[in-house]
Amino acid sequence: MKFNRFWTATAVAGLLISGLIFTGPAAADETTIKVGNIIPLSGPSASVGQQGKNAREMAVEEINAAGGIKSLGGAKLEMLYADSESKPEKGVSEAERLINTEKVNVLTGCWNSAVTYPTTAVAERYGVPFIVPVSVSDKITEQGFKNVFRIAAKDSWWTRDQFAFLKDMQAEFNTPVKKLAFVYENGDWGKGMASQWKKLAEKDGYDVVLDEPYPSTATDLSPVVQKIRRSRADVLLLVSNAADAILLTNTLAEYRVRLKAIVATGGGHADPFFIKAVGKNARYLFDIVEWEADINKPGAKETNAKYKAKYGYNLTGEAVDAYVSMYVIKDALERAASFDKDAIRKALAETNLTSGPGMIVGYDAVQFDESGQNSHASPVIVQINDVGNGLERITVWPKSARRAGYTPVFPKP
Amino acid sequence: MIYLIEDTINGILMGSIYGLTALGLTIIFGVLKVINFAHGTLLMVGMYAAYWTVTLSGLHPYLALVIVVPVMYVFGYYLQDIVIKPIFKAEKDVREPSTVIIVTTGVWYVLDNLTLMIFGPQYRSLPDNPLQGKMIELGEMFVSVPKLWGAITAVVTALAVYYFFQKTRTGRAIRACSLDRDAASLSGINQYKIYNMAFGLGTAVAGVAAVTLVPFYNTFPTVGVLFDIKGFIIVVLGGLGSIPGAIIGGIIVGIIESVGPQFMTATWTEAIVYGLFLLVLFVKPSGLFGVKYDW
Repeated sequence: MKFNRFWTATAVAGLLISGLIFTGPAAADETTIKVGNIIPLSGPSASVGQQGKNAREMAVEEINAAGGIKSLGGAKLEMLYADSESKPEKGVSEAERLINTEKVNVLTGCWNSAVTYPTTAVAERYGVPFIVPVSVSDKITEQGFKNVFRIAAKDSWWTRDQFAFLKDMQAEFNTPVKKLAFVYENGDWGKGMASQWKKLAEKDGYDVVLDEPYPSTATDLSPVVQKIRRSRADVLLLVSNAADAILLTNTLAEYRVRLKAIVATGGGHADPFFIKAVGKNARYLFDIVEWEADINKPGAKETNAKYKAKYGYNLTGEAVDAYVSMYVIKDALERAASFDKDAIRKALAETNLTSGPGMIVGYDAVQFDESGQNSHASPVIVQINDVGNGLERITVWPKSARRAGYTPVFPKP
Repeated sequence: MIYLIEDTINGILMGSIYGLTALGLTIIFGVLKVINFAHGTLLMVGMYAAYWTVTLSGLHPYLALVIVVPVMYVFGYYLQDIVIKPIFKAEKDVREPSTVIIVTTGVWYVLDNLTLMIFGPQYRSLPDNPLQGKMIELGEMFVSVPKLWGAITAVVTALAVYYFFQKTRTGRAIRACSLDRDAASLSGINQYKIYNMAFGLGTAVAGVAAVTLVPFYNTFPTVGVLFDIKGFIIVVLGGLGSIPGAIIGGIIVGIIESVGPQFMTATWTEAIVYGLFLLVLFVKPSGLFGVKYDW
């Protein structure tokens, strides 16, 4: 009896499923371009996923309102969202579904590097162009794929840019820097960054006078601060989580450690509560980030204001990358003048986007190298300072993105 | 050499404060024979109490003691009376009341998450106050003023608690209870009231520790966890239930943490602290100042 019921249920389910497949959406509609987006809309990264969705929607509304893709007779972009829940296996199955069932022309996603990595392999297998707005893991563009295009800077470029920044500041302010101190949280992230710093420091000929990991759960960081003070370093590079970033900043100020600059690596130093918790001790600190709302790029202020009015908060680096990627897709479609995925891929590979509403990023062009990495991508560096409206994060590097009228304070007085 | 002196001073100061955070734990254990897993959480509650008192009144941080200590005493007294006592009574005939330990863990989770819900996850530090960031400079040497105040408070508190236990009638009743519950009851001591008082006292001492921490440390919902683990190590090192043991255990940990990093990376000092902890357990399981046998 039980056996029979099981088989009946299975048969019914099977019929239903096959029914769904055959009555599902027919061949792609020739008046819309389907963009499939696999992003975390629930689970631990849901808040960044939602920001990415908002930014994509705003860009697509703008593109469609401005007449869609003109070379395709005003074809509109149609957005399809799939929830990855930050799970790699979910990303893979959603990519299969979007490609086979929904017949998407382009895919984007997935924010979590761990999801993007296997999901891009699905897109590669079916030859569907896959835009990665932001997933920073280096290996995503190191798979030899033809269909993967990443907008954001990759992991190893963050440290590269911290050193490029140091070099530029020394030249601009004619202040030599010789001795570096590395202080970082004792986890994967901190240790990974520090190992890259070591290579870069050797290459650029700096003396590393202190190389100090510390536990993020430390209740007293004055021993570490003492080591920094006694090392007589010129510049201190930091990787910190939240509580330790606050404790370190305050303790450094208490011991009046004299440094030419402190360069942090986001994380705890980019926490919205950091400035509030340390107050004036945060002054003159440099921090590296994806993007900052005050960036000196045409349209950045207006776009941020529009976004804020619509969704209630400022654009973040992740949101900007998602926003830009929609304009990269539009640009490629205009040039491809085709619904064919090979033509779209070819157009994407030839992208050289330098202007237009999407270009509110800190660098000057979007151009993909043979691995599919945007070769111009770079994070920006901000300085925390008070220029009359309380302490705030002010973009200082690269120079082309620096806030108009602001001169960075270097060396630290 | 000057560095060594400077680091040792910092270690002693910070260590005394660690000792103070562990003192309440040792008091509660000494009397109730219960490891209070919620001790770090009580410290956190004290820190929020101190933070809001100082922020809203704008007074000197140490004046918060006037409010925080009685509030924490009452809080601890009734926490024991309402939440822990019923379990204690149910387990009256069990020699080692282990369910109580689970209950204290429950209290820890509930209070931490309640704080997270009410105050949010942000890190708070006091606005400008007379102690913040102050340093005594002796030539090349720096001594932190808020830590110095904290260390003095720790020693004074430990002496006061010691005196209270040794010399007052109530203190003697508490000690009687800790030596032998049944005998104490037979002599007319209400043991449950004594437990409430001991728990209240331990919580009040956590409040004192909270006041010393607030001027130079962040207040956030899970701050207790960081001091909890340290507190257990210190208490076992010094001897469970021993008041001088808590302070001296704290100073030992403080000195290792402060002097150690000058010879190795800071992450290794944690390993040394835990290594010493294991060594003490092997060689002298009752701790440096603990009594050898249990009554």
